[in-house]
Amino acid sequence: MTPTISITGLTRRYRHQTVLDDITLDIEGDCISGLLGRNGAGKTTLMRILAAQEFPSAGQVRVLGGNPVESEAVLRRTIFIREDQAFPDIKVRDAVRVASWFYPHWSGELAETLLSDFDLPPNRNIKKLSRGMRAALGIVMGLAARAEVTLFDEPYAGLDAVARQLFYDRLLADYVEHPRTVLLSTHLIDEVADLLEKVVVIDHGRIVLDAAADDVRGSAATVSGSPAAVTEFVGGRPILDSRTMASQESVVVVQSLNDFDRARARDLHLRVVPLSLQQLVVHAADRSLENVKEMSA
Amino acid sequence: MSTYINVVRYHLVQRWIYLVMPMAVLAFAFGIVLTIFALTPAGPGGGHVGSVASIFCVLFVGGILTLSRSLPFGLALGVTRRSYYFGTVLLGVTLAAVYSLAITGLQAIERATGGWGLSVYYFRVTYLLNGPWYLTLLTSFVGLTLLFVFGMWFGLVYRRWNVTGLVAFIAALVTLLLGGALLATWASAWASIGHFFTSLSASGLTGLLAALTAALLVGGLATMRRVTV
Repeated sequence: MTPTISITGLTRRYRHQTVLDDITLDIEGDCISGLLGRNGAGKTTLMRILAAQEFPSAGQVRVLGGNPVESEAVLRRTIFIREDQAFPDIKVRDAVRVASWFYPHWSGELAETLLSDFDLPPNRNIKKLSRGMRAALGIVMGLAARAEVTLFDEPYAGLDAVARQLFYDRLLADYVEHPRTVLLSTHLIDEVADLLEKVVVIDHGRIVLDAAADDVRGSAATVSGSPAAVTEFVGGRPILDSRTMASQESVVVVQSLNDFDRARARDLHLRVVPLSLQQLVVHAADRSLENVKEMSA
Repeated sequence: MSTYINVVRYHLVQRWIYLVMPMAVLAFAFGIVLTIFALTPAGPGGGHVGSVASIFCVLFVGGILTLSRSLPFGLALGVTRRSYYFGTVLLGVTLAAVYSLAITGLQAIERATGGWGLSVYYFRVTYLLNGPWYLTLLTSFVGLTLLFVFGMWFGLVYRRWNVTGLVAFIAALVTLLLGGALLATWASAWASIGHFFTSLSASGLTGLLAALTAALLVGGLATMRRVTV
């Protein structure tokens, strides 16, 4: 089966910097994937290229089997919701109405429900919406379009916690009924962690991690205790980070620990805390996560 | 084709810009002219004013807006650049048809009423819009389309290269005109150029404008191909 999104050797250079550096990535059909990384890592540029809003400097991008650039067949089945979307001088209701003309699987019913769920004033000019409301409008369109490829770039910037939860719930509910390929970029990583089936971490335009979320979740843990005990426990295991504070040493071990390991840690009076996805991404941004990749492969 | 029509519908969500404003500006300018000539009657030659140009200007601005302000959301809806461009041209052509019909109709009324009873030449412009009705229709249609398409290109240049690009674009146009003028001076061709235009009929001029419109369309399309949002 051809992957829904297939990226090979994608590079995007601007005059003074390389925003995307030789990216190769496949995203198979129906799944929710997270595109994680710091500000300026290249997430938005990558998604803009997938939606044919930007052009690659080198490399190849295929969406739904074709090059998205100037392809009505691909773009009609793709929706890209971005945080900084610019709108003309139109109202909320107009934007939703216009979007409905362009997407074959558009659900007017879902759009109406979401508009009221997010308390969006349909007759207000989009320019007069708050940042959070504008984000909500993007979410309404992104979900109601039911596009086979749904790209959300920082979809909930400015949304409060309640509205974010609403987004996760609605996304999941509609995804279950109408499976599609969702790619979600964010830096609120732990919030979406449970939603994701695949995790892609991008840093300085390079992919530093590309793995199934389940493999990543248990793949590293922080072990802390007295330096001697930690050293004994860690032995030859691959480590990602270590720091000493007073008489405590804590080491990030990149290895899934089994029951035997845990029992041993208990005997050595060590504290073992699994690394959250967010912490992993922070480490991934620090250095290339080769070890994790090897472990989860 | 249905995508082109949807692009037109997308633009027409902003009815105010494309339908209300041109008519409002035209009516406003017309009201001012009538008021002035009602207070200070026109001389024996009739009152010639050029303010029918206002609607041409509004269409130029409309053209700019279609490709500066409205483009990002248009492309976000998965419209190809090509469809967006030709859909927008379709909007321009439709608007030009509507407004040229309006100008033609109002010109007929102006003729029938002796310049609105005030000898006012508002919808008649000497040399340009003063022939039979079908020439008025054709010339104003081509002129309106030309300005809309020209505006589109302006909007696109702004989109791609920002203010710097727009300034350079305008500078290039001015240089082109200036270069032509210099060339004409060196070749001592001004007399024959003057002759060319005076002997050129309104229909010939319309043909010239149509050719220019086609050139602008090609230029705009070339700029559109690599535009990013």
